[in-house]
Amino acid sequence: MSFDWQGAWQALVQHPLFAFGITLGAYQLAVAAYEKTRWVFLQPVLVSMLLVIGVLLLCGVDYAAYRDGARILTVFLGPATVALAVPLFLNLKRIRLLFWPVVATLLVGGLFTTLLGIGLAWLFGTERLMLMTLAPKSVTSPIAMLVSEQIGGVAGLAAVFVLITGILGAVFGPALLRRCGVRHPAALGIALGLTSHAVGTSRALQEGEECGAFAALGMSLMGVCTAILLPLSVAMVV
Amino acid sequence: MLLRGLTWLVLFQLLGTAIQALCLPMLPGPIIGLLLLFVYLVWRGEVSAPVQEAATTLLRYLPLLLVPPAVGLMAYVDAIAADFWAIAGALLLSLLVSLAFVGWLMQRLIERQARREEEA
Repeated sequence: MSFDWQGAWQALVQHPLFAFGITLGAYQLAVAAYEKTRWVFLQPVLVSMLLVIGVLLLCGVDYAAYRDGARILTVFLGPATVALAVPLFLNLKRIRLLFWPVVATLLVGGLFTTLLGIGLAWLFGTERLMLMTLAPKSVTSPIAMLVSEQIGGVAGLAAVFVLITGILGAVFGPALLRRCGVRHPAALGIALGLTSHAVGTSRALQEGEECGAFAALGMSLMGVCTAILLPLSVAMVV
Repeated sequence: MLLRGLTWLVLFQLLGTAIQALCLPMLPGPIIGLLLLFVYLVWRGEVSAPVQEAATTLLRYLPLLLVPPAVGLMAYVDAIAADFWAIAGALLLSLLVSLAFVGWLMQRLIERQARREEEA
């Protein structure tokens, strides 16, 4: 008797849990690699993404099929975004002490960051779809994906740009800021959190607790402000 | 505990989605949920243990949740390749400049506030 290898393979690849399984597996491998080496370029999201893409290409599964299977995970991005209210609330006391510096930096710096990103991309001649995808690049991914979709960009691609931005910030940020004479832990933290969101925040935590708290603050404030103001201003301008 | 907190988070997200559909189409539902939860926490003055546990757990696994959207890259390889240098340049330059600017600005403002408090 002969086994139906082809059929078994199809059953495996088409199972609803296939996408979930390879994502979980890739993520744990990536986290283990990062914890062993502590190398900033080995960001777990980046490494798992490459692993999953590799497996999908090898198995001949296209992205649409993977996306349907991985919906079990992505559906939790909504509640995770809501959960950001908790660290924001817990940092409320620190915000009060440095209230005006934080608010002014958030408004001026956040606007500057977003405009500079869009402006440079426009100057370099990227098209509209790409501009709308690049616009929320300094915001934590769940918000960036929602916002870019809202203003006519590509959610998946926005997550990629967000990730690249975060890794660049974590790699170059602290050294660059010190060279510019930025010494106060709150200033270091805000700069990292505001421009490089979660990846920058985890880098800031290595610099110290105060630095990390302000990074989390910068990240959540920048996220909320972008989520509210960017779709509104795009709706008004276009 | 975890389930109870998760129920709250999902409830706030659903409430946000309903409000979005009703009257705020330009804001994503989860963001409205975030704002509602934040207002609720400020009003209560504390975070209940189940909500804190669920939030901490979800945020710890945030990178995992972000993997499927990131895999979306494979669907846009052509779009990125077409504009590669423009995109790479815009990302890197704008990040480095705004990082330095934001840090410098915050440092200045903190120093100014400290000076004012000394004078007062």
